[in-house]
Amino acid sequence: MASAAQSRIKSISYAKYGYMFIAPFFLVYCFFQIWPLIYTFILSFKGNQANYTQFVGLDNYSQILFGTGSSVGAAGVHEEFARALGNTFVLWFGNFIPQILLSLLLAVWFTDAKVKLPGKGFFKIVMYMPNIITAASVAALYVNLFGDSKYYFVNATLMKLGMISDPVQFVAGPTASKIMVMFIQTWLWFGNTMIMLMSGIMGISPSLFEAADIDGANSTQQFFKITLPLLQPIMVYTLVTSMIGGLQMFDLPYLYHNGANFSKQLETVAVYIYYNFNKGTVEQANYGYAGAASIIIFAITAVLGSITFYMNRDKDAIAKKKQRKKAEKQMKAKMKQGGLSI
Amino acid sequence: MSKLTRTLALLASIAVVSTAFAACGQKTESTPTPATNNTSSQAAPEEGGNEEGGNEEGGNEESGNEEGGNEESGNEEGGEGGSTTLEAGAVNLPDTDDTLTVVCWTDADLQNMFDVYKDYSSANVVYQNCGDNGSAASTQYATYLNSGDDVDLFVAEAGWILNYINDDSMSAPLSDLGITADDYKDAYQYTVEIGTDNNGVLKAASWQAAAGGYAYNTTLAEQYLGVTSADDMQAKIADWDKFAATAEELKTASDGAVTMTATIGGLWQAFSTAKNAAWVKDGAIQTDVAKEFTDMVKGYVDNGYVNPNVEQWTTDWTNVGLQGETLGYFYSTWCLGEGAQLEQNGGTDGNWNIVIGPQEFFWGGSWLCVSPNCNTASEASKFVKAFTTDASIMEAYALYSGDFTNNKVAMDKIVADGSNSNPLLGGQDQFAVLSDVAAGIKMSDSITKYDQGLKDTFLDTLKKNISSDTDTIISTFTTQALADNPDLTA
Amino acid sequence: MSTKSQYGEVKDDYHKKIMAKSIAILVVCIILTLICLVPIYILIVNSTHSSNDLAQNPSRFFFGSHLGDNLKTLMNNLPADAGKAAKRVAAQYSSAFSLGKGYLNSLIIAGFSTLLTVFFSAMTAYGLTVYEFKLNSAAYTFIIAVMMIPVQVSSAGFVRFMYSLHLINSFIPLIVPAIAAPAVIFFMVSYMKSSFPLEIVEAARIDGCGEFYTFVQIAIPMMKPAIAVQAIFAFVSNWNNYYTQNMILKNDKYATVPIMVSSVLAFDKNIDNGVNYLCITLSIIPIVVVYFILSKFIIAGVALGGVKE
Repeated sequence: MASAAQSRIKSISYAKYGYMFIAPFFLVYCFFQIWPLIYTFILSFKGNQANYTQFVGLDNYSQILFGTGSSVGAAGVHEEFARALGNTFVLWFGNFIPQILLSLLLAVWFTDAKVKLPGKGFFKIVMYMPNIITAASVAALYVNLFGDSKYYFVNATLMKLGMISDPVQFVAGPTASKIMVMFIQTWLWFGNTMIMLMSGIMGISPSLFEAADIDGANSTQQFFKITLPLLQPIMVYTLVTSMIGGLQMFDLPYLYHNGANFSKQLETVAVYIYYNFNKGTVEQANYGYAGAASIIIFAITAVLGSITFYMNRDKDAIAKKKQRKKAEKQMKAKMKQGGLSI
Repeated sequence: MSKLTRTLALLASIAVVSTAFAACGQKTESTPTPATNNTSSQAAPEEGGNEEGGNEEGGNEESGNEEGGNEESGNEEGGEGGSTTLEAGAVNLPDTDDTLTVVCWTDADLQNMFDVYKDYSSANVVYQNCGDNGSAASTQYATYLNSGDDVDLFVAEAGWILNYINDDSMSAPLSDLGITADDYKDAYQYTVEIGTDNNGVLKAASWQAAAGGYAYNTTLAEQYLGVTSADDMQAKIADWDKFAATAEELKTASDGAVTMTATIGGLWQAFSTAKNAAWVKDGAIQTDVAKEFTDMVKGYVDNGYVNPNVEQWTTDWTNVGLQGETLGYFYSTWCLGEGAQLEQNGGTDGNWNIVIGPQEFFWGGSWLCVSPNCNTASEASKFVKAFTTDASIMEAYALYSGDFTNNKVAMDKIVADGSNSNPLLGGQDQFAVLSDVAAGIKMSDSITKYDQGLKDTFLDTLKKNISSDTDTIISTFTTQALADNPDLTA
Repeated sequence: MSTKSQYGEVKDDYHKKIMAKSIAILVVCIILTLICLVPIYILIVNSTHSSNDLAQNPSRFFFGSHLGDNLKTLMNNLPADAGKAAKRVAAQYSSAFSLGKGYLNSLIIAGFSTLLTVFFSAMTAYGLTVYEFKLNSAAYTFIIAVMMIPVQVSSAGFVRFMYSLHLINSFIPLIVPAIAAPAVIFFMVSYMKSSFPLEIVEAARIDGCGEFYTFVQIAIPMMKPAIAVQAIFAFVSNWNNYYTQNMILKNDKYATVPIMVSSVLAFDKNIDNGVNYLCITLSIIPIVVVYFILSKFIIAGVALGGVKE
């Protein structure tokens, strides 16, 4: 009797409900994301400052990418964008490498049944903590602790201990400030990455480790032969999310400075974009440069994403089924994205 | 059962969300409610449920208490000023709101105005902050002014005011408040010229003539230079060569512990404005003054006359003064009043003096501009007139705040009466020292709309590359400046 | 006997090794814990000192006695005989860093955004998993594709668009877009695919439940774990979202906690270091406290695949 009802239900088309359920997402997404993206695209073909209404074709792109174009300062525009892009990658790389190494080490330690570590839960909680603190507050905290003169905590303490004789320029120094931002970024994220990797390691079947133990593999061998290969999907996921996060790096580089203006030596692409469109009246702002830089970043994101997933596609075969599925979906996403931007 | 409750709760929360949106929507369309103040000039009863109003109430009363017991505004001014009646001009803008909203970046700096104005008017004046410093304000005002939030008047700085007065969607003519150039016969003319837009329309009026001077620590001057009077000090730093020679003397005497002045930024202010050269001429960036300055300041840094790592307007800037690590600062008049930078950086011992310094210079200054969305026209008119045309109010304000006001009559009277003595300067009258400087300001020839950005970029480049040679610094600066301003040429 | 002792030695050796390793790990963990906590501790310590004390000796490790004074300055609640300089400082800090107002604004934005994010993401995920329709897989692919687009790439257009709609200084551009959260949808779809039996929907239909009713009544309670995890992350990321808030909110009265902190950082006049530290402390401590209360849950959530901001 149920089957009759079931077949009756099956004969009803529920497709319209599907559309109804996903409609809000698409409406809002188109209104607040797609249209602004298209608008940004349009802006990238328009002029800057007083010429903001003028259509200039690919001029902004050629200025940003090649330093040639209608503006006398085109070379400088290119230089600044290249520097911003360089900073973005340097800052990202400089926080991703220590972060992933540290997180991996901690994740392996924390999941190692042989290691007796008291307070494991406490350590995890504390190490994740920086991640939930507002980045603006973190920047303010570090600027105030690591200020450039002897009137700030870290320099004063180091001088008191006799470790330095002159204050270190942690905020204004071109290299020191970059290292600080990398450090803070690592400080913010290593706990998060560690926990994600831990869940990945715990997802690996314990029988693999047991078998390796019986075969006499030591823990280093186990790490390189079992843990690392099997962790690959989740590592790729971490890499990609971190990379995309890195391309958007804004709060810290923008706020980590002394005085009224942000630090040029920490200018990332996100800061470059914001700086150029947020310059006051429409005749002061450079919407064209901001738009073109945005579209370039969009393209870079898409390309990087696809490359990463292409490279890791085949090796995924040994990964857990669930993780593989996840990665494949993301790969599709990247391909699709790549297709969109071209 | 519990499922049903949860569903209801969920639906209720959605309802709340949608009501919130509805409310938000209304907000942007309707006239903003008056009671949104940070510092309201009255402890007026405010609309219920306005949390920030409630918070600040205590603060307002605090400042209210202050008005009587001020040593500077003193006895003579209070009563006399109170009798002045404010009259609005023939306004051409709506008068539908009763809260005068003045957009600025630090209401704390305008506290003096607000204190003085209370003696003359019971209007509800609200200072609304936008941006946290002058540079930030220059980039954020545009967005704020277009947001539909209440704004009647706004304060703009010399460095970027031209962007706003030359944009009719941002500013309205002062004649809409019934104020014309004729009202400024007693004003320092450069303020009027700067307040006039490209079409010759008067759009902004300043309450101050921002003459500057060199304030020095008399204790240190006596200790290391043997200088005991302001005139002697002035003689020792009468031009840049003497300034450098004195710096050398100071360095030797103090064994390098005391710098001649706190920051490169301050030096730039004194050096550049005195040259009266525009940053931009015929669309091209001018770097002559910058070059000259770079040459000079590189020498200063090499010789330890100034510490390049101390940044203006930071804690370090304050501390080098308080801890006796610098002999002096280049200040504008608005730094000299009670509670302002002179006190913050120098303490209240009165061991500071002000002199003209190596060159007569001036520093910034702020203008009052009218928003086209002004809906409190009469009150706005009264306010602008009070602080930019009314000699007696401006005199009271000058005495109260230590600020050099934009009214020759008022300032001459103060100097002639000898009614001002600044305890922070050991009783010196800064107005007497600076009145000639103020009379000589010709800023209107040299001001451009790019000033703030170019100055920031230049000083930033200079400090970051102080060890490079001058040509490198200038070309680095030019490259960056052109990248920031595609409108310009080299 | 010799073999036995040898065996014992090996065993001892093994135990020693493990012990040594454990201790080494413990030391590293303690160092990392200190690196995480010391900045916060110093921050709190410094907020209890006056600006003057900090200028004279910035290297302070123990609590001072000026917390009350700093608080009074921040609340603009100075004694009547305070100097003009102190009053200036107080006026400036209290208007830029008004705690109650900032927290309320942040709560409104983060709270409503979170509600919208989890509800509409669950709804979209439900629509994609439960119903078969022509554009189903296309829609899902689209959602995954846009998941990784950084917000910055559309921000220039976003601001100009909001500008033209007069939605600057409004919470709408900060709340309504939360309806569209591709990453959350992706997570919820994975969750539903692994632990939401579609038979339940059919059973509900047989019982005559409407589609929306089924979703709200049956699906949402079953998705509670996923919703809770995503709600926490959505809340945290909206609370911390300085970038968008800073673009849209240009008026002090709408300032959120991150904006207030950046204001304090941007002050160029009337700076008081003690109060500076207090402001930063007050912006951090409540979050940290809430975090420690919910920490077990949050950590479990991250392990479950919390999406990185």
